This record gives sequence, structure tokens and C-alpha cells, in this order.
Amino acid sequence: MSLLEVRDLTISFGSKKVVDCITFTLEKGARIGLIGESGSGKSMTSLAIMGLLPDTATISGSITFEGQELIGLSDREHSRLRGNRIGMVFQEPLTALNPLMRIGKQIAGPLMIHKGSSLKEGLKKALELCTKVGLPDPDRILRAYPHQLSGGQRQRIGLAIALACEPALLIADEPTTALDVTVQREVLNLINALVDKEGSSLIFVTHDLPVVSAMTENVAVMQLGKIVENASVASLFHEPAHEYSRRLISAARLAEDSFSGKGGQL
Amino acid sequence: MRKAMKGNVSLIAGSIMVSITFALLILSFIWTPYDPLAVNPEDSFAGVSMRHILGADKIGRDILSQIIVGSRVTLFVAALAVTIAMTLGVSAGILIAVASRRYQSPMIYAVNIALAFPAALLAIILAAVYGASTITAVTAIGLATAAAVAQVTRRTAHGILASDYVLAAHASGASTWRIIRKHVMPNLRASLLIQASAAVSVSVLAESSLSYLGLGTPPPAPSWGRMLAGSQQYLFVNPLLAIWPGIAIVIVVLGFNLVGDGVREVFDPTLRRSDS
Repeated sequence: MSLLEVRDLTISFGSKKVVDCITFTLEKGARIGLIGESGSGKSMTSLAIMGLLPDTATISGSITFEGQELIGLSDREHSRLRGNRIGMVFQEPLTALNPLMRIGKQIAGPLMIHKGSSLKEGLKKALELCTKVGLPDPDRILRAYPHQLSGGQRQRIGLAIALACEPALLIADEPTTALDVTVQREVLNLINALVDKEGSSLIFVTHDLPVVSAMTENVAVMQLGKIVENASVASLFHEPAHEYSRRLISAARLAEDSFSGKGGQL
Repeated sequence: MRKAMKGNVSLIAGSIMVSITFALLILSFIWTPYDPLAVNPEDSFAGVSMRHILGADKIGRDILSQIIVGSRVTLFVAALAVTIAMTLGVSAGILIAVASRRYQSPMIYAVNIALAFPAALLAIILAAVYGASTITAVTAIGLATAAAVAQVTRRTAHGILASDYVLAAHASGASTWRIIRKHVMPNLRASLLIQASAAVSVSVLAESSLSYLGLGTPPPAPSWGRMLAGSQQYLFVNPLLAIWPGIAIVIVVLGFNLVGDGVREVFDPTLRRSDS
């Protein structure tokens, strides 16, 4: 049985379909990249798995996770999976943290919700998690407020929160888009290492082909709510079947060429 | 606290003004120069003198004594009306903000209707039914202010609920109740403090105007609003009679406004100098 099976998932707002009949499966420990431009429905797909779509959205099809059907699940039942079996890392590390709550409490949150930890136990575990995501001086960090940390540090905190309960599935929604290029690489390596170590599955959402190729073996290319191509990263690079995939690749090549000097002036 | 006060001019100035008011309140139970209700015809319109520090009114009642005792009504009204306004307003505001879309708009309309209903009219109705008293005035002021508080709270809470960190909290499996307690309330705090301090000022002014109209505290209990009303007829004979209660009202209103402003700065960690 696959860990996650998405079948004929359709999400619409009124008459506008933002996700149109998409199907993919994810085995335990496997990774998939969802790549596409803004509005292609990749973020909506991840929100649907989390059960966090706005209440104006209508949803049909089927999402099964660990054998449990998620569509039609009550919010209460769904919230037992969120942060526990499924973790999520968000795009904006600044706004995804409560500005008035100390970091320690925010990391301890999911442990207190799902594992019945006391605040003290939660903070102790938070200390370990801080070390795990490579933050120096975790004692100071736990007492800090989000605005006192850098973007990269905040994204590591986001990762610590998502991984606190050792989820079977991690959804990373453009986790490095808002970061400096140099910090991007560090955070990607960290996600890679941690997902490997925990044996979690990974859904990596991005619009950036080089980033996704560093993270996953399979890629689903989305355009206008449809999956237009589902292939391994290697075959996508060598023989892209869809027009939009070809455009993504040439965009990535352009960046590469301009570095090696082949692209001429920029 | 001393660290918080440092350089925070509005907090310092506001605290002094609020302290003066509370000092008057405490003083009113211990000592007043005269019995505030004692009529003394030979002192009619006595000016500022050693005998009557702030003068005396038409029937020779000592103004300073009346001001001191009048602080009771003012602060009682402010405390009770603000409690009513904040309790009702904040719970209604948050309830509307988290309610599902279907129930939201009728509730917003209800608040808007309550908001459009003038406090004075409500006070007149209550006074007509139950007789004018401090309690009818407090109820009218509290209810009228609650609508405004609910309106602002709903908007602020709505913004907080739409934020990324609330979405992230949902993604961590937090329940709506937990999100209200851990995320909405703390982030509302700054706005609530400003609203509460504004509500104090509004209720002090409203109590004064209702007493002025004869819809508040009935005579002879001294109230700053009624002292102001009483001095109106003698404005040209003895303008000081209107100035003293006026100053008292200004000190309370301004004091609470400044404190609200100053405290907001203390509670917002992003405005603090780094002190982790």
C-alpha cells in the first residue's frame, strides 16, 4: 500500500478549477517534486492534503494517506494528522512564526498538541530539535522572538516544528524561495539529510527546476491545474515530453550557461 | 518596569495623570476639606482662598471636596463600563471572526446596527424605564462602547486569522480554541489595550455628558459632569466653577489615553530594544 494516493483530485472555487483531476502516488520513504508556475495548483494540492483549503473551495476525488481517506474527513480528525503524521514547511519563514511567541514554545506546540507533552517536556525536546536542524546556541534561540533571528534560522525553526512529531510525510511548499541564494543551498541540504535520516516521504513544491532536481528523483510538472508530465528528473532533463517542461528546462539551462559564459551577455 | 518606563514619555505622563485620579479616589474615603454636600450660604460663590482652595458654588459647597468625592463616580463608571464593553465586545468580535461565512454577515449587520444606535438614546430609554441612576448610565455606555470594540476586534482578529502563522498553527494540528488562546489573543493585546484606554476616556466623557443631561448619577451625589452642568448658568459670574471639573475630566481622559499608548510599546517585542 502506498503512503499517499491522490486520485482524480479536483479543487474549484466557484466555476474556476484550480486543480483539475490530478493523480499521483507516493510510496513510503519516496519523494516527489511538484513543479509549476504560480497559479498552477501546486500549493492548493498540498493544502488539500493538509485539509487546510479555504472553506470556499469545493473538492472532489480521493486522497488516501496511510490507508485513510482524507476527503470528507472532519476538521477535528484531520487535525490529528496535521503536524503529527504530516508536517509542513512554509514559504515565508518570517510570517509563518507567531511574532509574539518565543521560539521554544512554538517548537513545543505540536508536541503538546499530539504527544500530550507538558511545556517543560516540549521545551526539552525543542532543544534537541534545534540542535538537529543545526542551530547554534539553542538555549538562546529557544528564548528568542522570531524577529531576532535571520531568515535561514527561521526556516530551520519551521523545519524543526514540521519534524517535531516525526511525520511520515513532509510537505515543503517553496521552502527556500524567500531565502538568500547561499542560505538556500544550506536549507536544501538540511531537508535532504533530515528526510533521509527520518525515513519520511517528501512532497517538494517549487517553481525552480534546479532546486527540485537536487531534492527529488521524480517530478510532476503542473500547469493550469493539470499534471502535464510525470517523470524522473533524469528523463525530464533528457527528453521532456511536454512543451511546458521544455520551457522550464531551457530556462534552467539559460541560467547555467550564463554562469559558464556560453550564454553571452546577460 | 523601570526599564520599560525609560524614555517612554507617554507612559510616564499618563501614569502621573492616572495616579492623580486614583490618589483623589483614595483621598475621598479618608479626608475632604469639607463635607461636599454641606450648604453654607455665606460662602456663596466664594473665590479661590485659603478657606476654599478652589472656591465654592452658589450654595457655598466646597468645590475641592466635590471634585475629590466626584472621582468615585467617574472611576466607578469608567471601570464598570469598560469591563462591560471589553468583555462583550471582545468575545463578540472573536466569535464573529472565527464563525463560518454563513453566520458571519448577519452578525456583522447586528453589530453595525448596535453601532448606529446612539448611546444617549439608549441611556434615555433605560432612564425612562428604570429611573436615571449611575447604573443605567453605566449600562448604556458599556453596551454602546461594546459595539465599537466588537467591530475593531473582529477586523483585527480577522487579519490575524488570515496570517501565515495561524495557517502554520493549523498545519501543526492546533484546534480553533488553541489558536484563539495562543495566537489571536496575544496578537490582539496591543489593539485591545488601546481600545480599553480609549473606552475609559469615552465612558468618562459619556458619564459627564449623561450627568450633564440629568441621565446619570442623580443629585446630590457629586459628579464632575453634573458640576459642569450646574456651573453653566453662572458661567459669566464665576467661570472658575466650570474650569475645575473640566480640568479633572481632561486629566483622566488624557491620562488613560497616554497610558494605553505607552503600554502598547512595552508589550510589543518588535518595538523593544533587544533584550532576549
